[in-house]
Amino acid sequence: SKLHPLTGRCVLGSAGCKTDVDQLRSVLDIKMKVYAHNHRKPMATPSVAQMLGNTLYYKRFFPYYSFNVLAGIDSEGKGAVYSYDAIGSFERTPFSASGSGQSFLIPLMDNVISHKNRLDERRDLPAEEVVEIVKDAFLTAGERDIYTGDAVDIMVITKDGIDKQTFQLKAD
Amino acid sequence: MSEFTCSISPTEGAPEGFSFDNVHRNAQIQGQLLSNNSNNNATRSASGNSSSASVLPLATKTGTTIVGVVYKDGVVLGADTRSTNDTTVADKNCEKIHYIAPNIYCCGAGTAADTEKTTELISSQMELLRMNTGGGQSRVVTACTLLKRMLFRYQGYVSAALVLGGVDHHGPHLYQIYPHGSTGKLPYTTMGSGSLAAMAVFEADFRDDMTEDEAVKLVQRAILAGIFNDLGSGSNVDTCVIRSDGSVRMGRNDITPNEVGPLRESVRRSDVLNMRPGTTAVLGETFVRAKGLGVTLADVTVSEMET
Repeated sequence: SKLHPLTGRCVLGSAGCKTDVDQLRSVLDIKMKVYAHNHRKPMATPSVAQMLGNTLYYKRFFPYYSFNVLAGIDSEGKGAVYSYDAIGSFERTPFSASGSGQSFLIPLMDNVISHKNRLDERRDLPAEEVVEIVKDAFLTAGERDIYTGDAVDIMVITKDGIDKQTFQLKAD
Repeated sequence: MSEFTCSISPTEGAPEGFSFDNVHRNAQIQGQLLSNNSNNNATRSASGNSSSASVLPLATKTGTTIVGVVYKDGVVLGADTRSTNDTTVADKNCEKIHYIAPNIYCCGAGTAADTEKTTELISSQMELLRMNTGGGQSRVVTACTLLKRMLFRYQGYVSAALVLGGVDHHGPHLYQIYPHGSTGKLPYTTMGSGSLAAMAVFEADFRDDMTEDEAVKLVQRAILAGIFNDLGSGSNVDTCVIRSDGSVRMGRNDITPNEVGPLRESVRRSDVLNMRPGTTAVLGETFVRAKGLGVTLADVTVSEMET
């Protein structure tokens, strides 16, 4: 799966070279185990975010070919999304997209999630509605990007845990 | 020479063939882009993605799975309907089976413009030839020869890989034609990026002297293999049956296994995606009256330029 839960409240999604992605996850899993062992609690999402950034920069001159998106619940119980480049530059953002289909998803989310370039009144979007928007967005990306398709794994992360569902896309 | 040969083109002096006017300019732009790239790479490059604006615009290719099969009473041609621009789908339902003559059709893979224009050109030449030689039926081998002669002349620069099929008084014929001009005459053939997936189906199930129904089903399965297993091919299956009695059945969108409608229906579409008028800011409006369909006479004085 392209999504990898790091804790019960934090999920890592990665695009790029699969072998580097697998290795990165392996390394992170080990570091999180060590942290949990030493601190007697699972790592908080902003800390995971920093650690991922550091881990990537550690290999600044022979990078992990991995374009990551980290999502989870922060220490205040609010949702957090972090976007990364291959060498560890990261930033907390309202949303993120990575991979071959990102050019199709980002402009749509700019308009719908961040409410850019629209004059109508902005309203809060509940989780179920956002999930439906994501499905629709992936259908669109699947139409025009040859690498996007087959199925989408969707994980909804709340303070109570992670809900997983799979949405089928076109297989061509 | 009799009055039936047309050795003098009625449009003599008019531009023919390809225009090479932009070759020098394109080479200059390419050179500039390359030196820009080396300048940019010398400075910081944090992003992992390479800018796609650093190359000349790519020609639309047809990715493609195209196939042809000879059966007992004729030939069946098949094609998918996806055309791609690098990795983006440019046209989800393009037509890859081109008309050459009433009894000859041609599937095209490679650069979309090349396949389209090449087949149009040869179709036109065949029609003129029919007119100049007593109005009989065209032969498939004629179309093949015209195509290969043209493609060889352009040394592979016209990127058209074709599956040519038809029926003439010698029977059903199927040819494969490569961009450099080589040809093969075969009972079954596949071309394009999905050719391996389609050929796997053919090699397993092809037999000589199939019925029309068997042949069409085989072609459909081969194209479907390409559609689902090759990323360069997708969307729908087009077929074309050309029979010995001269009849043709064009199966445009014969099978449509990739309709997005049902998938979209299954999503409870959010209201934020319905953008009513007024959602987008209008900065200004101008109204320009449409000019009538007449001819305006202009009084123009022409004076010679002093050099």
